[in-house]
Amino acid sequence: MVTRPLEFFGESGKERLQVSISYAASVAEAFWASDVARVVYIPSVTVAPVIEELVRRDGGADGVSPRVTPLSREEEAVGVAGAAALCGKLGGIVMQDNGFGNALTALTTWTLSYHLPLLIFANTRGSLGEYNSMIHSISTAVPRLLEATGIHYLELDRRSGPEDWGAVVREAANHAQMTFRPVVVLGSFWNTDGRLA
Amino acid sequence: MKRIEALEVLAELTAQHPVVVTCAATSRELASVKDSDNHLYLLDSMGLVGSVMTGLALGRDASLPKVVGLEGDGSLLMNPNVLPTGGYLKPEMLMVLLDNEVYGSTAGLPTYSSEVNVEELAAAAGWATGRAPDQQSLRSEYARLLQVTGRPGFLHVPIEAGNAAEIPKLLIDPVRITHRFSRWLASADKPSGSRETVAE
Ligand SMILES: [Mg+2]
Repeated sequence: MVTRPLEFFGESGKERLQVSISYAASVAEAFWASDVARVVYIPSVTVAPVIEELVRRDGGADGVSPRVTPLSREEEAVGVAGAAALCGKLGGIVMQDNGFGNALTALTTWTLSYHLPLLIFANTRGSLGEYNSMIHSISTAVPRLLEATGIHYLELDRRSGPEDWGAVVREAANHAQMTFRPVVVLGSFWNTDGRLA
Repeated sequence: MKRIEALEVLAELTAQHPVVVTCAATSRELASVKDSDNHLYLLDSMGLVGSVMTGLALGRDASLPKVVGLEGDGSLLMNPNVLPTGGYLKPEMLMVLLDNEVYGSTAGLPTYSSEVNVEELAAAAGWATGRAPDQQSLRSEYARLLQVTGRPGFLHVPIEAGNAAEIPKLLIDPVRITHRFSRWLASADKPSGSRETVAE
């Protein structure tokens, strides 16, 4: 477990908190604590620390470990990770929220329709801290896209600490298995210890 | 060779294998030849056969027979990413590409495969490939590629355009497919005498 002081900004202004784990490490720890069998990812600068922590905790390096591998596109990830459920396992995806446009047909016609539990963690690009003038156009709409298609999602941001992020990811994995559906956790790293693009 | 003639051979050859089947006419025709619990019909999700095969091949119990996919040219070309992904992850599985050079379930509109050699695409991505234009070579090439280890196999099967007549639609709730396929998968590594009956 990484132990270092962490600065972040709470609702009431700048606060200095001593926390035991980074946000990215907490998410990664929650994936493995939830018995996720395999994680596939589509990279982003912001979500890279989560991938690095997943790989490190799985004994790998340079973006690859026995249970963590890259894929080329989000719909592929839904196909590959969703199939784990047929083998009685839980698959995981780490991605960026601008890929939900690519993923949506696979999420709905495959994992949702076939009742396949799946855990997805995605960093967000549609709001605070975003520099890119184009990415808002897809990312801001993602919660409403997920809502319109009946895909359950949970939102995390600066207002809760790393431990809460980890707890939410663990319970999201549980919820996916209880409901036999994909569950998405959207994480905004703005004003956390995370890296923005 | 018509699609249904290829499927008659493939239904027999894949009887003990997990089989992922592309949507619409291919799924319907296979189900009309033989409907079986080891068939995972993708009722929509064009382009996802290779991805679902990959997930199954990586997640399956090592004692299970090799995952086989029955894919169409239009569907593969909708998500050709599965070829480099297969070359990179090297799942042990066999994709059978039924290639009629058209979107057979979508008004027979053309795909790229009359101009682009999909077998060479697969080979360039690292797949072991073969070609089977008739039922005899389908049997022999299927058997040969099934033995390949350390990388995925790709069997290119040219077929005539057109769908078999009077084949009923597959009007199944997908969750029933999940249920029967995952139960079959869970029992498939046991001796056949001890298997549960999962017919619905
Ligand atoms: Mg076709």
